[in-house]
Amino acid sequence: MSNELQLIEKAKAGSVEAFTDLVESYRGRLFRYLLTRCNNYADAEDALQDTLINAYKYLYSYNPQWRFSTWLYRIAIRNLISNRDDKVTELGDLGDAENDPLDQAIAASERQNLWSSARRLLNDEVYAAMWLRYAEDMSVRDIASALDRSVSWTKVNLMRGRNTLDAELAQSKSENYG
Amino acid sequence: MRNLPKAKVKIMDKLAKRLREDAERIDATISPELDERISASLRAVTPARPADERRPARSWTFWLASSLTGAAAAIVLLVGLNMRDAPVETAPVVANSTIPNIVEVPVFDLHAETAVLTSPLSQELENLQSDLRKAEEKLREDIGL
Repeated sequence: MSNELQLIEKAKAGSVEAFTDLVESYRGRLFRYLLTRCNNYADAEDALQDTLINAYKYLYSYNPQWRFSTWLYRIAIRNLISNRDDKVTELGDLGDAENDPLDQAIAASERQNLWSSARRLLNDEVYAAMWLRYAEDMSVRDIASALDRSVSWTKVNLMRGRNTLDAELAQSKSENYG
Repeated sequence: MRNLPKAKVKIMDKLAKRLREDAERIDATISPELDERISASLRAVTPARPADERRPARSWTFWLASSLTGAAAAIVLLVGLNMRDAPVETAPVVANSTIPNIVEVPVFDLHAETAVLTSPLSQELENLQSDLRKAEEKLREDIGL
């Protein structure tokens, strides 16, 4: 039995320490995703807390045939959808620009962060698919599972997302050099 | 991606690289306060259990008793149905009875046996019906019909 599965078994039995060790390598990456999806830091922190609590509470339902990170993202995405009304950034509604964690995170950078454009141009699910593919390096099958979509849907929407961002990148280049 | 022109593939690769780099540029440090808050929340939560685990398992004696009760009820029902289906012969009404008051009724030696179920109920039913037919024939022979 792998170390991860051992930790899962201990966590299922009620060991918070085992669960903390289990999610140690995932929570930073998950928090980064949530920061790009929430309107402010506090919401992203709440979203991370909700995700981890739900994961701990419903750990019995985890199927080891999937990667643990896939399962965690699935919970996080579902939480975001259920809290969409007041917490998730909607298309065209980027919230308070001064407190936007993504804007704050990239403010010191010398160039525009492409994820900021992605958030503006893509809908929630396509954005999530793009993030899982390019920031998390997940397989198409895992992304489909995390989003509760078919593999073909995932492939098509990844291609659409890439084309959209590709066009955005080409346009920003032509504006800079033209 | 195999069918795309080389320039397109190159752009796609650059896009993927750029997305990966831009994601890594986002600072996602978890503060000690948040860490503490999450730990405290986890300690307040009890992991849920699947529905089938919450119900205590039935012991084998429960299933044995349940099976025996069911079989007994089925036998009682079958016997009851057989008795109800048997034709009832009504005696002719005689106006002026010449039948003597005391009639010698032959006493039959009846053997009662406990039914032991060793095969499916349908088989038991057939066996019971067969036994019933044999008993009926024997009875007819004994009383000279």
